[in-house]
Amino acid sequence: MTIIRKFIVAAIAIGTFGVALEAGAVCNQTAASQAETDLWNTHGCWTDFFLWQYVAYDLRGGDWTNRGWNDACNNVLEYPKHWNAAYLLTYGLLDNNDQSFHGTVDYRATAEAVSSNFHNAIHDSVGDGTALFGSYSGGTVTTYCPLYDFTWQNANPGSRGGDFQHEGWHAWMEKYNFNNGDVGGHRPGPQGACTINSCDYFYFHGISQYVFGDMWQNDGTANRFHSPNQVQVEYLCDVADQSQSWVPASVRLAAQTDANTRAGQRFINGPGYTCGSARPF
Amino acid sequence: MLARYQAHSPPQLASAEQVGRFLDWVGASHVDEKEDARNAIVAAAGNQAVVQALIAEIERVKAADQSRALLALAILGETKNAKAQEFFTAFVWRTLPQQGTVIDGEIMEQTQAAQLQGKAIDGLAYINSDSANKVVLDVIAHHPSKIVRAEAINAYLWNHGDSVEARKTLSQFVRSDEAILLDRVRRVTGESAASFNAKLARFLKQHPEVIPPDPERSKAAATPAQPQGRSLPPPAL
Repeated sequence: MTIIRKFIVAAIAIGTFGVALEAGAVCNQTAASQAETDLWNTHGCWTDFFLWQYVAYDLRGGDWTNRGWNDACNNVLEYPKHWNAAYLLTYGLLDNNDQSFHGTVDYRATAEAVSSNFHNAIHDSVGDGTALFGSYSGGTVTTYCPLYDFTWQNANPGSRGGDFQHEGWHAWMEKYNFNNGDVGGHRPGPQGACTINSCDYFYFHGISQYVFGDMWQNDGTANRFHSPNQVQVEYLCDVADQSQSWVPASVRLAAQTDANTRAGQRFINGPGYTCGSARPF
Repeated sequence: MLARYQAHSPPQLASAEQVGRFLDWVGASHVDEKEDARNAIVAAAGNQAVVQALIAEIERVKAADQSRALLALAILGETKNAKAQEFFTAFVWRTLPQQGTVIDGEIMEQTQAAQLQGKAIDGLAYINSDSANKVVLDVIAHHPSKIVRAEAINAYLWNHGDSVEARKTLSQFVRSDEAILLDRVRRVTGESAASFNAKLARFLKQHPEVIPPDPERSKAAATPAQPQGRSLPPPAL
């Protein structure tokens, strides 16, 4: 209890300090999507988790002022939505080595702040604006309004966690000194099967080809490698098809839709895999 | 919270007024409640008031909450109702937005609408009648969005057991630059590594052109490696 209090005091102190530095947020903070709320209702705002999460993702109060830093149970705000996505990522996967693309250990290490085989230390910030879903630069992952505004198709916990994977993988690229292209860390497009202006290759691999915990591995060739959009699609696919039984249907359906859209649009050598059954429900 | 969840208890779906609550429930429903939901929908499939209320809900939330709009389209698709087919047929051909917020060259409003049209296509393909399939095939040949065309191919194949015959039919409609979508690898819930990996091996043999080039090293100086930090264990669920 004492430790929790210390955390809360620290959080409030950091948040208060941030007030003087930050202007008010301009992302839409009036509501949450059904997928957001359905996941939220599985934990009902879990204090122990968000007190762990802000440390694990190295969230800093100055970045999250007026976004729920001192109102962590108000799920229309960005910080609660951020940790809601982290909750899904931390607990929501089945981790079946014979069926899942990767394990929670991989997705957590990609998203969380700590220096590891996956990347050097990173921290998660937030920004206003609608020109990007997320960005990675100099150790900072920044996520933007399209992942939070409830009217956007990506404002759901699965897609937000997928972006944690995407941006975390740019940090992986940096750690292992790979050049994935000059268009925001991607290749120019449209080209090949990629229909947008920011494209990756898909490095196809079978299930069980990577033991859980080994997603970071590469051999410097296309045989053992991942691109940012690929880890994002594989995470979304695992949320859609390989999630814990309690993960709400709305979360799984939104993840499946995002995965299939990305897999069809963002790969030069696409399409990537299709996730899930085509039965309506 | 999970301990208090009452599993296998779908609310009634017998009137227009009950549609909102049913969608609330189905969105929160667990993996092992899929059949509960399907059974409730089948029981209401001939109820025109329920079908009309689902359509009204899709119209209400289509630009306001994608996750709920997808759910409502999914439920409507499960009904196989004639009115649903009529709605889907018109819905998939609605003009897509040509302007809006652009991310990575993608118009987000266009993608949002196309994803919903793709879900409507799932409903049409699931009806699997001559008239519904005619729309699906027309979409595969002529729809302006790759998202919708790709989902139409996927859904047609899935509803025809991924048969050779279905591929043959689709090959008459699919754009020449999208023929690879007929062979796209699908991963479904519970599929074993052996099953998936065999499909992937077959796909890569059929399409060696998709094997990517080796990745490139950056010309910039490598970032100095940091010592490994200590990952904090999350609280036990």
